[in-house]
Amino acid sequence: MSELVLAVPSKGRLEEQTRIAFAKAGMNIKRPGGARSYQGEIAGNSEIIIRFLSAGEIARELIRGNLHLGVTGADLIYEAAENGAEMVDFAVPLDFGQADVVIAVPNAWIDVSRMHDLSDVAADFSSNRDRWLRVATKYINLTRRYFARYGIAEYRIVESLGATEAAPATGAADLIVDITSTGSTLKANGLKILEDGIILKSQANLIISKTAPLDSDQLKQIAKILAVFGV
Amino acid sequence: MFEKREQLLALLSSSGAELVNPATLLPASDYFDLAGEEFGRHLLLTEGADGVKYCLRPDFTLPIARQYIKSASYSPASLSYLGPVFRQRADGPSEFEQAGLELIAQENADAALYQVFDFVREGLEVFAIESPSIRIGCVALFEELLEKLDMPDVWKPRLRRRFGSSTAMENLLQRLSMPQNSIQQSISFKKTREQLIEQITQTMLDDGLSLIEGRLPEEIAERFLEKQALAAAKVPEKSVALLRDYLAISDEPETALNSAEKLFGDTNLSLESQLNILRQQAKELSNRFPNSPIKLDLSFSPRLHYYTGLVFELAETSGKTIASGGQYDRLLQALGASKQVSASGGALWVNRLEEGADK
Repeated sequence: MSELVLAVPSKGRLEEQTRIAFAKAGMNIKRPGGARSYQGEIAGNSEIIIRFLSAGEIARELIRGNLHLGVTGADLIYEAAENGAEMVDFAVPLDFGQADVVIAVPNAWIDVSRMHDLSDVAADFSSNRDRWLRVATKYINLTRRYFARYGIAEYRIVESLGATEAAPATGAADLIVDITSTGSTLKANGLKILEDGIILKSQANLIISKTAPLDSDQLKQIAKILAVFGV
Repeated sequence: MFEKREQLLALLSSSGAELVNPATLLPASDYFDLAGEEFGRHLLLTEGADGVKYCLRPDFTLPIARQYIKSASYSPASLSYLGPVFRQRADGPSEFEQAGLELIAQENADAALYQVFDFVREGLEVFAIESPSIRIGCVALFEELLEKLDMPDVWKPRLRRRFGSSTAMENLLQRLSMPQNSIQQSISFKKTREQLIEQITQTMLDDGLSLIEGRLPEEIAERFLEKQALAAAKVPEKSVALLRDYLAISDEPETALNSAEKLFGDTNLSLESQLNILRQQAKELSNRFPNSPIKLDLSFSPRLHYYTGLVFELAETSGKTIASGGQYDRLLQALGASKQVSASGGALWVNRLEEGADK
């Protein structure tokens, strides 16, 4: 029989809180080789292999079906592939890692408080200039989908992999889409979140891949894990 | 199949058309600059070692127009093409073939459009398709209607930008017909334009924003005031209703044109000359496709700013598009031409035509 592969974030608060959540459910995650090792196990259960991977990698590999299940942020699943969310099952919300993916514009834009304002501004901007309104973000798929829902077509994305909140001040973009838990970084950078600008309320989830092939033993293992989480 | 291909190639070099073959790998920025992120998401992208983004050719019109501008002579050109295009689809990347004709800077723009009709008809004939269903729309009529419609000018370009997307248009029309007080609630203080500009400038400086790069303080203040003005004097209900009625017209061309004419007549708008142009264009089309059901849908247009006149789309019985095109007089200027150059063209979706012919 083949083991079930469960991926856990490899470092930081996400790893810590995943351990706590699993321990509460009666499963102790062991990492025999210490923080440098990428393999682990659940005490007393030889049918599950633990892999320690980065949260982004877990999202990608769940979608591709190279992992059976894993713990990662919902935002990363949505972002890893355009149809990522359809490839997985968000089985257990774990009540940590809460953060929102939001649209934020400069405070100086006193005329903009909602998405419909932004849609006027985008249309005006591209009519008056030879460039589009620019949105800095690493959340390309989420941004495109949300803007499309509000019928906004007149913009361009500037890919930003760090310090997105600084993009308006550096002139790299006019507004941003970014993740925030308290909003304080945005505030410190003179940005405000649009009233209807919350694209996704994200948190860590125990996620099952829909694309990974599962045999009957593995299915039983998954059912057991879900049962201890009360699902 | 070889025979059909030869007939298609013969058609592509008939009537003095020059068969051209633009590059398959193109700078992606052209497409992003022209059509924005909505179109950009359908590109198959790759990156050079220097970080510059390239894409696999998603259509022929843009590279052909680019090449034409480089020649800088702006003389009449009749350019045709046949080859693969690449697009990102919901179910993954796809490659398919298109054949088409671009007529640029022709002396008679309407005659050029009719020549495109001829090309499409003859192309479909190669594959023994005689009565496709046809949908047409008209950008020029909508633009003229907007121009003459009673409403604050600021709304006109915004409505134009949304033409072609029913969701985006409906969102805006709903806002325009919103009762006044719900807008007024969001406005809590009154300041003069100068006071506002000063306040905005100060905020921008405090937050380290450039005063010249992005939205300007004047722009922000003006839109803020305009929001207030809208609360006081909004877009007349009649105009919103007229737009809704207009966009809902979708019928056999003569009937649709009569409905539009009646609608304009009821509101004392005169768009007679534009209606006559469209009437003539529809007639020319139905002469060429006497057995086809033709529908004039006044909300139909690609959501791309460079389309100007008639737009059309032909579909086979299953509903799949097998040919499309139209007039796009603003394309060349948008790509950097020094003046407006008339252009019209049409593309055949070769794979779908071949699949149909196989059956």
